[in-house]
Amino acid sequence: MEEHDEDPGEASVTSVLSENQEAESGVSTQEVKEDPKKEEVNEEIKEEKDKESEKLIVPQRLINLQRDLSALVTNIQTAADAKESTRRTELEETRRLRLEWLENDARSSKEKFEEISKGWSIDNQKLIAQELQEVLNNQQKLCSALVEDKKKLISDLQQELKVADDRYVKDLRKLAEELDLMIERMEGQINTLTRAYREEVVQMKRVHQQETELMFTKDMTKWEQSRKELLDKELENVMEWKKKVEEYEEKIHNLSLETANKCSSIDMELNARFQDAEKKGQHTKATNLITQLKRSKTDHEANIHKMKMTMMQSRFTSVRKRLKKQMEMLASKNEQLKKRDQDMTEEYKHNIQQFERLKKKTKHIVAAEARKFEEMWLMTEAELKQLVERALVIDSLIYKENFGLSWERPHMAFMEISGPIQPQKQQAVSQSFQTGQALQRKVDASVGPDTKSTDVEMYKDGTEVQSESGAEVEEGELSMEALKKVKELLCDESGFLMEDKLWKLLAPLEKDEQTIVKLCSLLCSLGFERDDMPRLAHFLIKYKHQQAEDVSVESGDFSDKAEEEETNCTPHQTSEPLDPNHVLPALNSFIEQLRSRKSPALQHASFQPVEVRDSSKDEEYWESMGNVISEDKIKLWDDAEISMKDYLEVLTEIAVLVPETQSLEQQNAELRMLLQQSLTSSVDTELQVP
Amino acid sequence: METSEAQTSRADRIDMQTTMSKSPSSPGVKLNPAESFSKMRRIIAEDPDWYLNIVPCLSDLCLQSIVSNFEENPMFEVLTPTQKDFVHERLSTSLDLQVTANMVSDGVYWKRCCEQRWDICDLSHYGNSWKRMFFERHMEKIIELFIPDVTQTKTVLDMIPLCKNYVKRLDISQLLPPIKEPQNEEDECGSEFSSDNEYDEPSMDHFDFNILLSKLTNLEELHLMYRVKQCGMNFEWKMFEMTDRDCESLAKALKSCETLKLLRIRESHLEDEKCRLLVKYLLDHPSLRELDFSHNLIGDRGARAVGKLLTRSKLEILNMCDNNIRGPGAKAIAHALCKNSTLVSLNLRLNRLRDEGGEALGKALLDNNTLLHLHLGANEVTGPTAIALSKVLFQNNTLRSINLSCNNLGVLGGKALEEAMSRNTSVTECDIRLTEVDEQSVSYINQAVWNNQSLEQKKHGRESKTK
Repeated sequence: MEEHDEDPGEASVTSVLSENQEAESGVSTQEVKEDPKKEEVNEEIKEEKDKESEKLIVPQRLINLQRDLSALVTNIQTAADAKESTRRTELEETRRLRLEWLENDARSSKEKFEEISKGWSIDNQKLIAQELQEVLNNQQKLCSALVEDKKKLISDLQQELKVADDRYVKDLRKLAEELDLMIERMEGQINTLTRAYREEVVQMKRVHQQETELMFTKDMTKWEQSRKELLDKELENVMEWKKKVEEYEEKIHNLSLETANKCSSIDMELNARFQDAEKKGQHTKATNLITQLKRSKTDHEANIHKMKMTMMQSRFTSVRKRLKKQMEMLASKNEQLKKRDQDMTEEYKHNIQQFERLKKKTKHIVAAEARKFEEMWLMTEAELKQLVERALVIDSLIYKENFGLSWERPHMAFMEISGPIQPQKQQAVSQSFQTGQALQRKVDASVGPDTKSTDVEMYKDGTEVQSESGAEVEEGELSMEALKKVKELLCDESGFLMEDKLWKLLAPLEKDEQTIVKLCSLLCSLGFERDDMPRLAHFLIKYKHQQAEDVSVESGDFSDKAEEEETNCTPHQTSEPLDPNHVLPALNSFIEQLRSRKSPALQHASFQPVEVRDSSKDEEYWESMGNVISEDKIKLWDDAEISMKDYLEVLTEIAVLVPETQSLEQQNAELRMLLQQSLTSSVDTELQVP
Repeated sequence: METSEAQTSRADRIDMQTTMSKSPSSPGVKLNPAESFSKMRRIIAEDPDWYLNIVPCLSDLCLQSIVSNFEENPMFEVLTPTQKDFVHERLSTSLDLQVTANMVSDGVYWKRCCEQRWDICDLSHYGNSWKRMFFERHMEKIIELFIPDVTQTKTVLDMIPLCKNYVKRLDISQLLPPIKEPQNEEDECGSEFSSDNEYDEPSMDHFDFNILLSKLTNLEELHLMYRVKQCGMNFEWKMFEMTDRDCESLAKALKSCETLKLLRIRESHLEDEKCRLLVKYLLDHPSLRELDFSHNLIGDRGARAVGKLLTRSKLEILNMCDNNIRGPGAKAIAHALCKNSTLVSLNLRLNRLRDEGGEALGKALLDNNTLLHLHLGANEVTGPTAIALSKVLFQNNTLRSINLSCNNLGVLGGKALEEAMSRNTSVTECDIRLTEVDEQSVSYINQAVWNNQSLEQKKHGRESKTK
């Protein structure tokens, strides 16, 4: 700024400018240089501050390091500042010198200028050309000198300017170098500082760790100690407590024992007193009791009597009631039984009707069958007779035509007979048939009641009673007792006919019932009907008499005699029972008698049954029919057949040959015709040709 | 609601269309299963990359469509945070700022924008905000490449509404002068300077900050350098100056910018007159806290003006290093210091205070109880100043750091300081390198300073502990 102020205008502007430039450029470069420095310094300071604030207790080594390093860096800056200030002072000095010099120069040049200007004024006084010339030359010399001076000055200044430029360039380089140096140092500082800080940190950490460990161990030991102390104290306390507890326990025990003793003694006393009191009390009680008992006994007895009376009365009433009930029950049951009885009788009648119907049906069927049989017989017989006739005709034909023999009709008795053969011994056959039927019935009866016997018991009872009453009504003579005895006898003697099962079933029953049931089963097994029972009784009684008389009667006559004797011998019968040993033969005979009585009735009722026929004769009869042509004749027939067959063959051959012969004959005839024609024609041709 | 629904539906439709157009082979087939089975199979077989896993979610597709159609249909605030992240990751960085500036919030998108544009991105300088970084650097670039009369002011004005919410600092390292016509340059080569000056003056004005500063409502810091970077062989002194008209417009603009806290005008050939002009407009500024006029040409008159500013503002930091301030200017500043109670740091490095100014400052500091940092390095100060300052150190216990390096203090001055430091407990930094002080006293002073440092640390420790 000073340069500007002091610039004399006349002086060469260029020089001033150059100076100015120099100064300015220097400043500018410095600025450039200084800025980063400052920033860095600031940063460093900040860093330091930061770190200081971070670690309150920074070790001296680090502080020294920081100071030294920052000083190392800032030294450059301060040096640069110092250089700059000295340069500025130098600059100012040179500027001052230059200004002085310029002033001197200006003064001298002014003097010269004045000389010159004076010279010009002299010129005006002298007008001589030569003088004028001289003066002019002088002036010119002066002017040229002045100009040379100025030029010299200018060249000097220019040289200075050049020098200054060079210096400026050099300064710039130096500054650049310094900058580099500073950067280097800063980097170094940063590195070293960071390293130092790291080490510091590591150390700090280590120290901290150690400290913490130490503290930890210390604390642990303290803790342990205090804990141990506490534990010991606690243990002691506990032990004391235990001891105290034991003492107290003992005391309590003793006390309790004492009190127990006292209590027991007191108890004993009390017990003794109590026992005395009890004894007394019991005595009084006993006396009281006895009196009371006496009183109560009398009361009790009276009460019991009353009670018994009432009980008896009530029982009476109840029994009566029961009786009534039982009676009612009985009546109702009787009614039920009656109803049932009626139902059963109705059913029985119905069944009998059915049975008779069935009987009729069977008779019808039998008759129809017999008729059919007869018809069949007649038809087959007629057919057979025809066949026999044909056979005989053929036989006669064979005899007459083949052999030329005379044929005689063989004797055939059966040819006259027509219809089924009537057997001669009808009666015997019927008898045998009857026995078979009876046997069959027996078997049926013995099997049938096995299952029905229990069901039919009640019914049988009823029937028995009825039959008994019926017997009484019919005969009148036969007393009940005798009948009973007979029954028992029958039962005892014919027990072997009964089955084991029945025995078992009858075991629990009473004797009367047993006999009835046994009789029933027996009669059923023997095939008696209810009407037969009184008859049997009679028979048995009679039989006894007969035995006694030793009379043997045939079965056929016996019935008549028995009938006769029935009427006669009734009065004797009551007294004596039958000998048990004779019961079985008597029974046998009675059965036979019964059968004989029944069989004629049957023969009367039915037609003559065909089944009675003798089939053995039939076979003979049929065979005789088959044997009309004897075996010799059959052989003969066979031979005749063979010869006939041969003959037939010959005949068939002849039959085949006949048309051939006929055709040959025809051919012959034709040939003959042709021969004749040829004979006739041959003459003609001969005639014609020539 | 209606609009949002309409938007979503439209987005869906677009989504469908895009998917159809993008992959007509694979998903297209899926859409119409009525087609013959064999055909479908054939197509799948032809597309070996087709997997069910690769088929993206519908939500992803929607977001993708939002991303791809962001210019026509910007949607951002409606989305959930995770969807926002998705959009951030995929949004094209070449989108128009008109769309994105006030729509897309701070996040990965702006990081991508920044990293795409610049290699070095130090987020800590920008308050950890990528968006702020992007817009500040964007604005700086616009201003730095602004050529008056060629570039239209509209480019700047258009940006203002977009970035005014995010720009807090403008660090402008160059301001281009208007382009001269080639004829003028030819003329200039051989012509005189006077005419050249006259001719140039009207056209040498730089960018006019009036249009900008009053509208940036969040601006807090303004760094200016009137210079041209990489001018090469076209160097001219005029390129490194601010014109009077520049100065006036800047001063008015500064006054209009009421949020400004820091003003830094460096290396701009700032002279007394311009300094006075600027200061005149900065008087009674409501928020200005820091002023940096370093590396300029400010002389005593300018210093006097700054002194006046000190009395009429709340400046806390004043940096006037590397100027041309001499005794009288220093006296004026010292006078202001007597009355000021806000200034914390004063830097007068590389000036020409000499003892006149130094002694005046020393006297002033006897009355001042706020100044913590004083830098008087390379000021041709000598013993008397040292003695005056030692008096200050005796009394004053607020001063923390003092720098007297590169001054010829001499042995006597050093001794005086040594004595003073023996009493003082507050100074933690005292730079007396290259001051030709006796080594003993230097070491003593250093020792005292270190003691003070350790004391201060202990105090800090206590404070922190109490806290």
